[in-house]
Amino acid sequence: MDPAPRRTLSSFLLRGSTQVGLFLILVVLWAVFANLAPGFLSKFNLNSLLRSVAVDIVVGFAQMVVLATGGMNLSVGAIGVCAVMFSGYLMQVLGLPIPVAIAGTLALGAFLGWLNGFAIVKTGVNSFVVTLASASLFSGGMLILTKAVPLNGLPPEFGAFGKSAVGPAIGSMPALPSLAVVALVIGLGLYLLFKHTTLGRQILAVGANARAAEMSGIPVDRTIVFVHALSGALAAAAALMLTARLAAAMPAVAGDDWLLPSFLAPVIGGTALSGGIVSVVGTILGALLVSTIRSGLLVLEIGNFWLPLFLGAFLLAAILIERGRAAYVAREQARRAL
Amino acid sequence: MALTVDKASKSFPGVRALRDASLELRAGEVHALMGENGAGKSTLIKIITGVHRPDGGRLLLDGQEISFSSPRDAIRLGISAVHQERNLIPRFSVAENILLENLPRRAGLVDYATANAEAKKYLEMIGLSVDTRTEVRHLSVAQMQMVEIAKALSHEAKVLLLDEPTASLTGEEAEALFALIKRLKAEGAAILFVSHKLEEVLAISDRVTVLRDGETTLVGEPIARMSRGRLIEAMIGRAERIAVVRPPKPATGAVKLEAKGVATAVGHRDISFTLRRGEILGLYGLVGAGRTELARALVGKDKVTGGSLSIDGKPAVIRSVEEALKRHRIGYLSEDRKYEGVVLLHPIRFNVAMTIWDRLAKFLGFQTAAGERKAAEPFARQLEIRTPSLEQAVGNLSGGNQQKVSLAKWLAAKVDLLIIDEPTVGIDIKTKAYIHELIGKLADDGLAILLISSELPEMVALADRILVMHEFRIVDGFDNDRSYEAMSRKVMGAIHRHADETVA
Amino acid sequence: MRAFFRLQWSGILVGIIAGGIALALSAPAFLSEFNLFVLLRSVCVSLLVAYSQMVMLGVGQMNLSVGALGGLVAVVTGGLMDALGVPTLPAIAIGVAAGGAAGFVNGWLTVKTGINGFIVTLATASAFAGINLGITKAVPFYNLPTDFVAFGNGRLGLFPFLLIVPLLVTVILALFFARAVPGRHMLAVGGNAPAAQLSGVSVPRAIISAHVLSGLLAAVAGILAVAQLGSAQPTIGSDWLVISFAAPIIGGASLAGGAISIVGTLLAVVLIGLIQNAMVLVKVDPYWVQFLLGALILAAVWFNRYRAVRVGES
Repeated sequence: MDPAPRRTLSSFLLRGSTQVGLFLILVVLWAVFANLAPGFLSKFNLNSLLRSVAVDIVVGFAQMVVLATGGMNLSVGAIGVCAVMFSGYLMQVLGLPIPVAIAGTLALGAFLGWLNGFAIVKTGVNSFVVTLASASLFSGGMLILTKAVPLNGLPPEFGAFGKSAVGPAIGSMPALPSLAVVALVIGLGLYLLFKHTTLGRQILAVGANARAAEMSGIPVDRTIVFVHALSGALAAAAALMLTARLAAAMPAVAGDDWLLPSFLAPVIGGTALSGGIVSVVGTILGALLVSTIRSGLLVLEIGNFWLPLFLGAFLLAAILIERGRAAYVAREQARRAL
Repeated sequence: MALTVDKASKSFPGVRALRDASLELRAGEVHALMGENGAGKSTLIKIITGVHRPDGGRLLLDGQEISFSSPRDAIRLGISAVHQERNLIPRFSVAENILLENLPRRAGLVDYATANAEAKKYLEMIGLSVDTRTEVRHLSVAQMQMVEIAKALSHEAKVLLLDEPTASLTGEEAEALFALIKRLKAEGAAILFVSHKLEEVLAISDRVTVLRDGETTLVGEPIARMSRGRLIEAMIGRAERIAVVRPPKPATGAVKLEAKGVATAVGHRDISFTLRRGEILGLYGLVGAGRTELARALVGKDKVTGGSLSIDGKPAVIRSVEEALKRHRIGYLSEDRKYEGVVLLHPIRFNVAMTIWDRLAKFLGFQTAAGERKAAEPFARQLEIRTPSLEQAVGNLSGGNQQKVSLAKWLAAKVDLLIIDEPTVGIDIKTKAYIHELIGKLADDGLAILLISSELPEMVALADRILVMHEFRIVDGFDNDRSYEAMSRKVMGAIHRHADETVA
Repeated sequence: MRAFFRLQWSGILVGIIAGGIALALSAPAFLSEFNLFVLLRSVCVSLLVAYSQMVMLGVGQMNLSVGALGGLVAVVTGGLMDALGVPTLPAIAIGVAAGGAAGFVNGWLTVKTGINGFIVTLATASAFAGINLGITKAVPFYNLPTDFVAFGNGRLGLFPFLLIVPLLVTVILALFFARAVPGRHMLAVGGNAPAAQLSGVSVPRAIISAHVLSGLLAAVAGILAVAQLGSAQPTIGSDWLVISFAAPIIGGASLAGGAISIVGTLLAVVLIGLIQNAMVLVKVDPYWVQFLLGALILAAVWFNRYRAVRVGES
């Protein structure tokens, strides 16, 4: 086999992955914001940015793992609210120890996701429709049971964890918030899953070509059910992080609000809607990008009311730029092939 | 109206699909276009219908050079292709499908009364008696095809291209179609009839053009001067037929698979055969005879509803492809390479390792790209997959190399029984010879092989025994004596006998 | 009778009748004139929202921005009336036009960029919501012309004036999809886009037209919502997503495109309205509505699929 072709810096930037391009955009944005608004790099701002982006990253992961199989999960937010309230119930009402409550909440998320997967596989109905319906079922069920009453008496340690940080603060850089560490650990786990395990490869094979995967002896249905259960567990993890950040279990925090971020982060980061391609790093960068823009515009006082407009426009622009680059690369490759 | 293709060439990445191919189609004739799968027929058709643009050569209509930028251009100039069911809107009525191009309207609204009356005219023209208000999705395949012809007539098509029109028709439906073709011809249409069925071509065409490996080996020869022998020779060539012959060898290996009176949910009845290790069992039949469907049942994709299967001497029920592979060590090399054989998006090593991830997995299912590469490497080398690196996405490989990757997957899995379905469709001649040789070698190494092929020469060159399938039954079986003439007489004879029986 | 049950929407109609009878027996207030008025009025906006999505399903696409677009039009129209003092009719005309323009943006972006319509409309939904908030700063416009508000609350017996609009739209849409050439072209594209293209139907034009139509319908829904509420709330539309898909899908539409049912969608909206009304009447937790809606969608698709297999079309 021939050695890999040599790379120059320019070809690296051009041909490098979506993630490299994203990283560059991020660096530029940080430089711009830091110059325009000194407050952007303040300890306080960076700390709050990192704590909120941590949740967005995990929400993005919850969507990413389903996108990997070419499906969608519109119930990420609904599972999220169920998990928020369930964790509050376990800790405040039942008074269970925090680790037990966390395990129980993750199990609930996985179970709700499993229900999604089971319904999709058994009925053969599109995942969009099934999760649209289950989103209503889940959040409706949660509201019926909780009467939408928030739980404010969580153990103080839980809220303290949400504010805690790991490692020393260096100069103006804050210490790394524990929540960000949790997001990174989950990211590492998913990276290993997709890069280095049988299951991860099966997921990618199913997403890229379900028929070929099945005809190669891969259990397609089981893979899809697993992915939905995983998505549910990740949504529950994000819910736990959010609950820790707010130090209260509130029923109005996730739900529909998660729909956009759940797609934004993975899609900006290079995960294909058609399945078969995921990027854990890309999803992290995508969530960072969204949070950076949000935080930067807030610090610049451009008016947070206009923020969604910029987010929407930016999402389209980012995808278009990436498309253009990918098309250019494909043309180059075709030219070299001739 | 006369359509001429003058020395057209067309290349795709890694393949020269067409080389200086010519065709001359006249008004008032039925012109057959023949060739094996992968000979370049579909490329030529796509050039005529404006889907592809030729790299070289000219396209002439009544002596005027033309060029298409889209299939619409071809239709506008009166060249219409008829495919099966593909060009219809399922939930629209027959009338609306026929007249979609130019729906009659009154006061800005579609005038269905006029549309129905007008569509009826076209249906009468072709002798199809269905209610013009029926939604197309409720029609049979034959009826849909007729509707497409009616639609082409409504475009005032002067050149009609019929692509394998009888592939899923019953004998009676095909007869009706031929009668229609003759009538259209008498009215002055130029009809290009694409088929690989000799009988049909000899019965209905006036002239014939044959493609082989992207070149035209016969251009517009009058059918009167043709014999079956000459047509076959033009299609497959003498040299290729004798390229690989496995010497006859008595099957002595242990019985791997035995089917006794097997029936399936898709319609097979009374399927019985045995397959030994080291043996190549051929399963021959026309398109639609139920061969691929049997293969799918054997790997657990379709349900076996009756009879019994035994594997390695033990009764077996196969519920999924996963079970076929992991418990019974059976693999299936699909005829549908792009959709069932390989995952185009992922690298070669990923595709080859797909069947052996279980075996490669370390603690907690841990995998590495290096581990996959190491496992895939020997097979990539053995099969001479031409690629700069095993990290290359399979989508970037040529058809032949994709097929090798698909095969490597099963070699890596070390199956005992490999079902090989149309292994050389759309593959260049050199790779084809190589794959034939390889299949022979695999059997010599003790693999049990069930070979499905529509190419009789391939069958005769490889199989130890040939079973003939017709309408989801095995109707006959012969030991292969390696003589093409003798075997083709026997096999064709068996099919015709049973075709006659079913009609009678 | 058998022919009736073969119809896609027969099950929904049976559900409505059975539910109506059960409700009339268990809660006498159900049949009161005012309750029926409330029920009918609640159906108006939902129906237009459902049509807005149904049009997209017809052409084989989705529009996730239905709610954001309707909300934007609601505050634009309200703002014109309140802040700028534009008279009712011109304000409505501008609002509807803005909805059409926003739909055009959706369609144009989908066709020109080749990006999946799902992502495009997810992004524009965010953008529309941003403009909405930017205009209102999250403060509603209260000061609306009295004739406009009166129209929103007026009734003739049990019939709300508002009902005129969705009924008119229903008739127009039925005619449009059954008889008008652009409507047929949209369904042709949804049913089999390559075939439609070969027959000279412009696929991009059909997709853009569908988006424009979807935008117009969402706009009308937004304006009706303003009339009904008596104020232009920036939150209008934020809860439309589920119902926009639920009603057409329960009514028998397929996500694959080309198969929609106006009667089915209409009946599905009525059924959902009936459930909402029932929850209020029997004093059940209103959160049950959301739960039941989810169950209803699942049951409907499951049933449709089962029947498709039984009838042998799959």
